Amino acid sequence: MQKTVIDAHNLSKIYDEKTIPVYALNKVHLHISRGEFTAIKGPSGSGKTTLLNMIGGLDIPSEGFVEINGTNITKLKGNELIDFRLNNIGFVFQSYNLIPVLTTKENIEFIMLLQKRSKKETDQRVSELLKQIGLEDKINKRPRELSGGQQQRVAVARALAPKPQFILADEPTANLDSVSAENLLDMMLQLNQEENMTFVFSTHDQRVINRARRVITLEDGKIVADTAPTTIIHEQLLE
Amino acid sequence: MLTKIASRNIWRSKKRSLIIITAVSIGLWAGIFMMAFYNGMIEQRVNSAITSELSHIQLHNREFRKEYEIKYHLPKGKKMLEVIRKDNKVKAASARIIIKGMIASPSGSSGITINGVIPELEQQLTNLKGKIIKGSYFDPKKNNEIILSEKLRKKLNLNLNKKNILTFQDKNGNLASAAFRIKAIYKTINTPYDDSNVFVKINDIDSLAGIPNEVNEIAVLLQSSKSLNETQNELKQEFPGTEIMSWMEIAPELRLTVSVGDQMVFIFMGIILLALAFGIVNTMMMAVLERTREIGMLLALGMNKFKIFMMILLETFFLILAGCPIGILLGFLSIAISQRTGIDFSNFSEVYSSFGYSSIIYPSLTVRQFEIIMFLVVITAIFSALLPARRALQLNPAESLKK
Repeated sequence: MQKTVIDAHNLSKIYDEKTIPVYALNKVHLHISRGEFTAIKGPSGSGKTTLLNMIGGLDIPSEGFVEINGTNITKLKGNELIDFRLNNIGFVFQSYNLIPVLTTKENIEFIMLLQKRSKKETDQRVSELLKQIGLEDKINKRPRELSGGQQQRVAVARALAPKPQFILADEPTANLDSVSAENLLDMMLQLNQEENMTFVFSTHDQRVINRARRVITLEDGKIVADTAPTTIIHEQLLE
Repeated sequence: MLTKIASRNIWRSKKRSLIIITAVSIGLWAGIFMMAFYNGMIEQRVNSAITSELSHIQLHNREFRKEYEIKYHLPKGKKMLEVIRKDNKVKAASARIIIKGMIASPSGSSGITINGVIPELEQQLTNLKGKIIKGSYFDPKKNNEIILSEKLRKKLNLNLNKKNILTFQDKNGNLASAAFRIKAIYKTINTPYDDSNVFVKINDIDSLAGIPNEVNEIAVLLQSSKSLNETQNELKQEFPGTEIMSWMEIAPELRLTVSVGDQMVFIFMGIILLALAFGIVNTMMMAVLERTREIGMLLALGMNKFKIFMMILLETFFLILAGCPIGILLGFLSIAISQRTGIDFSNFSEVYSSFGYSSIIYPSLTVRQFEIIMFLVVITAIFSALLPARRALQLNPAESLKK
């Protein structure tokens, strides 16, 4: 059995607590093990991004806590939490969010440089990733010179570069055309299999859901289903 | 990496950065030039006061300056002068008899200071000859010659070769007077000085004042101002019991002008840089607000707050530093040109000279002042970065990423 990487206990996020409380997340329990390829789906406003933000330490829960590899990140403050994110979590955002003034290579090595890894190790890892994402010829291009799909590949490579505990991807295919989305998914699945990297997505995209090995469905801040995609397809067919 | 991001970030909004770089250049240029102008003006005033009026050091009888009474002369003053003139640090020295008295002509009279001087030594000390605009310097063969200022000449309606009467109290308090013939007319940049100083030969007045062969003032001009304190201390040891004062002690108002002038230029510079700082703060705030999402992303990825602060600080720094070379170059260029030509304020010469200032200003800037300007620029950069950096550090990554 694979080791648990993410452990969310009784997680709630309540807005306007003192007036009319709105539950963005409502007592969510979630365990994700190493090597999982998990999609979190649900309608807009169901709490997908909020859950991802909690797991990633970008937002503080109103109730409950999140443990990453046994560390309660809800208790971490300021730079301690930032350093934890730096060393443990990889992020891929919907709109790529590359650093516009840096080249492809510089964007990929960015986190490793923040971690003060050696130049040799960084260069080796960057060239390895460039090969994997198939952008060796775009090494000195700035993000504006790349297509959306290429930018998202760079974003994935940036997240993967320091070999984090897991990668959180918030609707990674939302801004991509179907070919780019398929390519990106192929690449992420390959990395998941080759490097046993844990991926957690929030998504609306059926292509992502179909490829995921585990699909968590959120509605009104609650997990209403947690199953394998084949079961979902089966349920959809039955409906 | 931070340096790379910061330096590239300033060119993301070229137009905005160029405007602020231009503002920094012009502000720095104006600040440097204004500082040099003010410094030049004060330097000229001080130099003129030292070389034409006060000299670096003056020696008197301890009682003399209280009432300017002739009886308080310097015993063995001429021997003291000989000793002082042998000092290598001394460029020129001369002895004088200083008497407060009155000059009278058929048209009127005026209270004056009579400077009894040794012509050849006075020439080395104050270049009195160089200030003559009419007539010629003292003739060693003739007696009772007087050199007075153009202002006094006009006031008393006198002309060259005309006689006037000098009246004063002698050593014993008796009134003494003598007729002097106008040998020359002088003019300096200091109207109040011109208004009250006349020059006669010491030999023509010492007996009349009742102190034959004695002097009541020795003025010393040094090779360099740097040796002022050292020479003053040596003279104090050499001639104990004598009042030995530097120009700053003799004319405290001039010393005050220098220190107030120093403060004023830094206040002006501070105001210029403060105005610039607001422009830079505005630009950097815009940059931070525009990049809210990007900064949120950096925080999310693990760039800690110190690095975010450093990134904003470096960006502000680069923005200011980009404007510095142009501003400094323009500043030095305009100083170099105006040092050669001078800045002519002849139209206001009366106003300037009434305060002892030359109407042609030659700007000058010391290395120390330049260092202080650069220090102020660095402080401005840090100050300008604080508010935008604070704004950036307050960002919540989750909220910022939604924008």
